[in-house]
Amino acid sequence: MEVKIQHGPANAAAQISLAAGQSFTAEAGAMIAMSGDMGIETTTHKKGKGGIGRALKRMVSGESFFLNHFTAGNKGGEVWVSATLPGDIMVYDLKQGEELVIQGGSYLCSEPGIEIDLSWQGMKSLFSGESIFWIKATGQGKILLNSFGAIYPVEIDEPYTVDTGHIVAYPSALNFRITKAGGSWISSFLGGEGLVMEFTGVGQIWCQSHNQVSFGKSLTSTLRPRKG
Amino acid sequence: MKTLIEGAPSFAYLNVELEPGESIIAESDAMVSMDSAITMKAEFNGGFFSGVLKSLFGGESLFVANYTNNTNQIKRITLVQNTPGDMREIELNNSSLILQPGAYIASSLGVKLEVRWAGFRSWIAKEGLFKLEASGKGCLWYGGYGGIIYREVRGSYLVDTSHLIAYEPHLKIKLQLAGGLFSSFFGGEGIVTRIEGDGKIALQTRSVSGLSTWINPMF
Repeated sequence: MEVKIQHGPANAAAQISLAAGQSFTAEAGAMIAMSGDMGIETTTHKKGKGGIGRALKRMVSGESFFLNHFTAGNKGGEVWVSATLPGDIMVYDLKQGEELVIQGGSYLCSEPGIEIDLSWQGMKSLFSGESIFWIKATGQGKILLNSFGAIYPVEIDEPYTVDTGHIVAYPSALNFRITKAGGSWISSFLGGEGLVMEFTGVGQIWCQSHNQVSFGKSLTSTLRPRKG
Repeated sequence: MKTLIEGAPSFAYLNVELEPGESIIAESDAMVSMDSAITMKAEFNGGFFSGVLKSLFGGESLFVANYTNNTNQIKRITLVQNTPGDMREIELNNSSLILQPGAYIASSLGVKLEVRWAGFRSWIAKEGLFKLEASGKGCLWYGGYGGIIYREVRGSYLVDTSHLIAYEPHLKIKLQLAGGLFSSFFGGEGIVTRIEGDGKIALQTRSVSGLSTWINPMF
């Protein structure tokens, strides 16, 4: 599977080329276009496997209930995938033994060697402005993540603060806790930041420059209520 | 203080490296991520009285946030505006600039932020009852939804309402119909902002009220 990110960072789409018989898995609704002989199978879990439980959990995490599995015909082919909001896409090469925790909603697609499962990050997730469940990716292969806005990596070796709604993914070797942005709780809320996530450990995290919720708030205050 | 605007023009965000003891003032909720050792304190937006006025009638935040590096190492902070779009840095040297609601992102300590009454005309033009005047000496960062266009006004210039984001204080702002009665209301332009005088203005290529009108149209 070969991946080319086109039209990034503002309107990124991923062009995925598959050799004959090769397949990959994408979030439902992510496909824009594909070769005519591409096979699609829709399941709630891995190709050829179901399971309502996992699908329900994925829905709670802000992802779709179903996953689509694309398989190229005997000449090979291509699929274009992208996200709903304007933003960037990044490719991550997951190695065996590694575990990546992805914000619900940021998962776009992955190679068959990747196992996607839900990860419960504890009650703190309720306050993180993110979904209660996060997506946990294990296995080996490429995984594609999308964002609202640009994605920037941050190397962490001492505590690092990320505003809620701005995290894309982090390795499970790192930990986060929910805390206040300022010196005092009053200052944090008055300053408009409220709760933030504080990451500890050594490793790299990925943040998105913009935040759907903040943009949504600027927009909804200007919308008129629906009549009737 | 070292700063760099990245992600422009679609998703501009501001990376700041604070030297030991340095501070930066930012719009509330502008912080995306930062070293946890940076201290954050809420301050009134342009003083207590004007802060309250602005928050009650201007739809602006009552507080701004002061981020200070109290450690003895360089610390990083990343700031952003709510809307996707471009960002500009401007150096104030005992000069001043008027910012429309939502345009302000951050400023260095030497910049004074004051809230001024903009009037009902400005409110009708969807530009807010209050305006923010930044003056003094230092750096100021502001942004818009979409790209940013600079114009040098000589005499007079017309701008569609809600696209103006910044202008020099000696310029006069008035409202008028875009054309005759018919073309103003059926041509989709309606009321426009008339800028009179000589000076610089900044416009944004998109507007949030334009997007919301598209999502739920008036008719």
